[in-house]
Amino acid sequence: MNVKFLNPFIEAAYETLLADAKTKIRRGELTLKNEPFVTNDVTVILSMIGKVEGLVFYSMDERTALSLASSMLGDELSEFNELAQSGIAEMGNVITGMASGKIADAGYESNISPPALLLGKGSRISTMDFARIIVPLDCELGRISIHLAIREGHHVGVASSNFIVPGKPV
Amino acid sequence: MNVRFLNPFLEAANEVLKAETRLSVTKGKIELEKSALTTEDITVLISIVGSVQGVAFYGLSYKTALDLVSRMMGQEFTEFDNLARSGIAEMGNVITGRASIILSENGLDSNISPPTVIEGHGAKVSIVDFSRVVVPLETEAGTITVHLALRESSSHQMDENFVQLVPDAIKD
Repeated sequence: MNVKFLNPFIEAAYETLLADAKTKIRRGELTLKNEPFVTNDVTVILSMIGKVEGLVFYSMDERTALSLASSMLGDELSEFNELAQSGIAEMGNVITGMASGKIADAGYESNISPPALLLGKGSRISTMDFARIIVPLDCELGRISIHLAIREGHHVGVASSNFIVPGKPV
Repeated sequence: MNVRFLNPFLEAANEVLKAETRLSVTKGKIELEKSALTTEDITVLISIVGSVQGVAFYGLSYKTALDLVSRMMGQEFTEFDNLARSGIAEMGNVITGRASIILSENGLDSNISPPTVIEGHGAKVSIVDFSRVVVPLETEAGTITVHLALRESSSHQMDENFVQLVPDAIKD
């Protein structure tokens, strides 16, 4: 995992949370892990496909998710309902989208998948042979951990229909 | 969710399971669900982006998973270890890859993500505002449930290395 993929995520998270949830984040200690990720209450899962590929998780407890969703929607939510869930999934989508834009500016273009939201503590998520960098982000609403299991892609993101077809022999 | 996304997956699952495990697959009752998916023991998750976008899930029990990897690798597995996990992830990868090729032959190009394996019964996974087509595939080893939360992408952008084919130019 290349560190040049890390900073775009931290910048994107900082900008997104400042703009949408009006909260400033501080980055905690980075860790690198190989074993499966044991989930917290709420996990947003996104894939990146292209010149950079892999998975991104945003993990937090339900209280943090609820405070973030309340702050983003400008409405005090008392339960983690569908509206709150869609808010948190969207937050993951916006951060990843912005980060993938910054990474593309550095020459690594990628597409991101729609966000999947996993609810339930204690599931184990394995990213196979991708190691994960874990970035804890603390803000006054709680802690969000970003897990990055990404690497330079093996394929360059050209869809099969875009392959150049040689002309017929004369 | 368009039904023409479904058949390529069924076809792919059938081919792949027959080739890798010599099992034949019977399709169960197809359902459309809007609520979140409740995970089984093992769920393989693979994202698809391109003209078709969304997420494909393959849910199965430990028992079925162990039976499948034992058949795939020709040795008895009693524990869902790293090798078994990677075998099941690969199965999901191969089925999804094959399905995406069939979709591409039908004019829907896409790329797929590396597989992710979620272990843990009873967690909820929701793909916000995607409905899911759920198809149980019955085999002698047990049931593999395929969940497809897919749709045609409305704003598919070509990447910069897109080369427009000009049929007339090729003819000469």
